[in-house]
Amino acid sequence: MPEGSGEVDLDDGTAEFHAENICAVFDAFTVPNSISPDRPLGFVSGRIDSVEIKWRGVTKSFMGVHDATNHFSGDFLQIGMVTIAVTATTPKTTGHGFRFVSDPATTKVNYAEIGRERNGVFFS
Amino acid sequence: MNDEKSISWKKLQEKWLTRRNLIRGAAGTAAGAGLVLGSGLRLSALADDEDEGKHNKCKALARPIPHITGPGHFFFPGPPDGSAPSTFPHFPFAGFDPSTITDFKGVIAQADLDFDGMGTSLETGQSVPYHFHTDWRFFKGTFVAIDGLEHRGTQTFI
Repeated sequence: MPEGSGEVDLDDGTAEFHAENICAVFDAFTVPNSISPDRPLGFVSGRIDSVEIKWRGVTKSFMGVHDATNHFSGDFLQIGMVTIAVTATTPKTTGHGFRFVSDPATTKVNYAEIGRERNGVFFS
Repeated sequence: MNDEKSISWKKLQEKWLTRRNLIRGAAGTAAGAGLVLGSGLRLSALADDEDEGKHNKCKALARPIPHITGPGHFFFPGPPDGSAPSTFPHFPFAGFDPSTITDFKGVIAQADLDFDGMGTSLETGQSVPYHFHTDWRFFKGTFVAIDGLEHRGTQTFI
């Protein structure tokens, strides 16, 4: 993603992600197609015109997490308020022209967090 | 015993069926629309590598975390410290690493969301409401790519 597309401010308990024109999006049409190596993946025909996600509102802190089983560590903040604004299109030239525009006000958070992490060879 | 490894296929499919609704929406609705994205397929967009051009012209590809949930290298969203109760969905008896890439150090953000919107057929102009579920994440920092070199960049997981 372009530089600056994602920013996390742990002191402020906020994060933002913004991107435009994420192209070459697969549509596998069915779940088995997308997870089975012996089935076709479908067509690269869609794009995300734009997406903006904003995180704010710390509800819980996880400081000094050290998971020796899965080799990751860091400081994390559970977030209670997130909005997503996304517009996506399948071009009309595919014969299945479609556009989706989200309503950010309807966003319901199931789980969200931001954090600073080290894993794999950087795990300590 | 790692309960996540024994997660039922049906439960996994239900989860992924939900995820695939991200932007594609419900195929076969009145709109007859077929947009596209997610579809249960995990996309990890390529890094914007600041070193690109110094080593080669290809984008650096990060490696996935070793942990496997069903067919993929990821944890479902959840507390990272192992504090989740056993009733928590996809309880792994461990912390949920929000990163899907390994050999990484940096900042992360993750959001498992439900939201609504309007889908419009570009063929007929007909619009209908859609409901979606997404697990969207991004990782910004330093990672060791499959070329064995350290790179800096931002990657997203849709």
